Amino acid sequence: MQNNNARERTAYPQMMNNREKEKYIENYNFPYCDESAKYEKVAKIGQGTFGEVFKAKDRRNSQKFVAMKKVLMDNEKEGFPITALREIRILQLLKHENVVNLIEICRTKATQSNRYRSTFYLVFEFCEHDLAGLLSNVNVKFSLGEIKKVVQQLLNGLYYIHSNKILHRDMKAANVLITKNGVLKLADFGLARAFSTNKSGVPNRFTNRVVTLWYRPPELLLGERNYGPPVDLWGAGCIMAEMWTRSPIMQGNSEQQQLTLISQLCGSITPQVWPNVDTLELYRTMELPQQQKRKVKERLKPYMKDPYACDLLDKLLVLDPSKRADADTALNHDFFWTDPMPCDLGKMLASHTTSMFEFLAPPRRSTQMRHHSLPRPTTSTVQDGGYIDRVF
Amino acid sequence: MPGWYYDKKELKNTPSAQDGIDYQTEMRYRKEGARFIIDTGIKMDLGYSTSATGVVYFHRFYMFHSFKQFPRYVTACCCLFLAGKVEETPKKCKDIIKTARGLLTDQKFNTFGDDPKEEVMTLERILLQTIKFDLQVEHPYAYLLKYAKCLKGDKVKLNKMVQMAWTFVNDSLCTTLALQWEPEIIAVALMYLAGKLSQFDVIDWTGRTAKHLRWWEMFVEDVTMDLLEDICHQVLDLYSQTPSQSNESPPQNQPRLNPPPSSSVARPSNGQNNPVSPDQPPPMHSSIPPPSDVPTYIYGTFTGAPPPVPGFPGFSAPPMSAPPVPPHMAAPPPGPPPNIAAPPPVFPFVNHPPPFAPPGVPPGANYYQPPNPPHRQFYPPP
Repeated sequence: MQNNNARERTAYPQMMNNREKEKYIENYNFPYCDESAKYEKVAKIGQGTFGEVFKAKDRRNSQKFVAMKKVLMDNEKEGFPITALREIRILQLLKHENVVNLIEICRTKATQSNRYRSTFYLVFEFCEHDLAGLLSNVNVKFSLGEIKKVVQQLLNGLYYIHSNKILHRDMKAANVLITKNGVLKLADFGLARAFSTNKSGVPNRFTNRVVTLWYRPPELLLGERNYGPPVDLWGAGCIMAEMWTRSPIMQGNSEQQQLTLISQLCGSITPQVWPNVDTLELYRTMELPQQQKRKVKERLKPYMKDPYACDLLDKLLVLDPSKRADADTALNHDFFWTDPMPCDLGKMLASHTTSMFEFLAPPRRSTQMRHHSLPRPTTSTVQDGGYIDRVF
Repeated sequence: MPGWYYDKKELKNTPSAQDGIDYQTEMRYRKEGARFIIDTGIKMDLGYSTSATGVVYFHRFYMFHSFKQFPRYVTACCCLFLAGKVEETPKKCKDIIKTARGLLTDQKFNTFGDDPKEEVMTLERILLQTIKFDLQVEHPYAYLLKYAKCLKGDKVKLNKMVQMAWTFVNDSLCTTLALQWEPEIIAVALMYLAGKLSQFDVIDWTGRTAKHLRWWEMFVEDVTMDLLEDICHQVLDLYSQTPSQSNESPPQNQPRLNPPPSSSVARPSNGQNNPVSPDQPPPMHSSIPPPSDVPTYIYGTFTGAPPPVPGFPGFSAPPMSAPPVPPHMAAPPPGPPPNIAAPPPVFPFVNHPPPFAPPGVPPGANYYQPPNPPHRQFYPPP
């Protein structure tokens, strides 16, 4: 190889030629960026906003599984996507029990066949389940104490990320992962971004085209661009209710319909309940049902029964974001501090040895469009660590 | 986890050094690359933190690759391109290249090859892998402002001192200080230097306790005077470099003699020194005539600038009675930035630090640079 290099150099004495550079790239052993070949893909488990997600096995430790999220770069005119950079930066910042852990970023070897362009993968700790998958399985039954544990961990994760000035912006059951030991992890920070409390008086101009429709709070639907942590707490409320209803509580198929569903559940959107709502960009454009009474407790009581649960939900699904409970307030709610106390999910999950991902599950409601992954069959059935990837 | 800090011995044993580039030359390449990133950043209206982040990527990159393997201006563009995206101030690759073309001589621009954009894009992947996707970089600026808030004394003098320290921080990017010390320590050292030069004696400060002898002991531990002076001298050395030194012709793109074995390139900064492969041939670069591309490029303003304090004595000595303060710094700060593009600045890029509580620095968000900070001209417009 050295001889080869020497020959090329003699041929091009002045400039380092492309072939030489390619060789250099191919042979350079990046000390901080391992090759993705150290993991063996076992199944496709999802389709994220910027790429596919695979379950993979560590070749040096067959007990260790990871989730690998491919960074799609094919249609990028501006190199490594800024969205992926954002996600990486945020994940590197966030280290918490209830936030998915980014282990490393791997690359494929640059070779002639990929035109010396590596593909990158974000490598995460593997979580056996996602909440949407668990909820869609009728055999998975949560006790009240277990539900409390799920919601508590969810709010813990949100409290942590909000303290670090990060908004998740894509709360939904499918983005809430649960390990086989019952530890909840917020995942998919592909839409997340940092925020600043704008003391400077200059309002933020964030995009309001975020959050899956069914979990999108009213302020985003009305065009607010200066939003904050309350957007995630609305989603947390929707997810909390879903723990009992087992399917998303407001399944609109358009922004207009979503607002109608919200009004029908949470009452009419008016400046009386929400001061200055009339200054929002789309307040006059959207049709807002009038004379709607707030029926959150009334509608959810048949499912939730527990009065504390109803009360907490009532404080999360508040129209006015400034009055919506924040994560800290919610965590102090009596719901978490009265019997039955939050209890571990590990035992209950141990009786389910099938990995449950929404991606792999049948649609919970076939009549409604899914805003994320469409269920699709997968061909591989893999036996690993006692977990079988469900195949439909 | 590898760190990004190196001791002086490691800084003398870089891939470029192993590739036959002598230390002085490498330091000059680093300085030129850093200056170029800053100049390009100014031209494109990018904020100081974007440029500073780009410069830190640049310095880190060349701890793993040689300047002979990767021409510095291409790398510099790539670092600025990536930093723009990371700091939420993205610029199109083609626009960066266009700006670079305007700043570089044809000969230097030739290192971008036939397809400059492609060249930068390909390099981006290499850059990301090299810096292990460690995108978030902290700079001394925020610490400077934080520390200044605690100091008591004459407001005008304090302001002047902070402004001068800010300039030193800018200039420190042209050294390898960011590869040696945490931003907190650099901020302390350069405030110490600015305090001496502007005769701002820190007598009292908020949060002072009985055991504090120096104000910075509130913020950093175990920082000796020797260390502070070493840091200050590394910055001051920039000003004492003579034009002739900087005008040496940079040899570019000589064929590499030997790709650096990865074992000697991967240098975790845990203090271990991986031995350089002994079978490496001796450097031969002296036999290659340097291209004559230099005189057309006036190197920033370092070259013509006199040292800020002529005959600046040993640092431990008490400050001289009346250090000559560069004229533009004597102007009443802060106010609207005076037009400093006109008079030849003594400090290379004198920029005006924001008032002490700049709206651009979000309280508590020690990691986040807001995407649209209120526009503040830290670098003078071209």
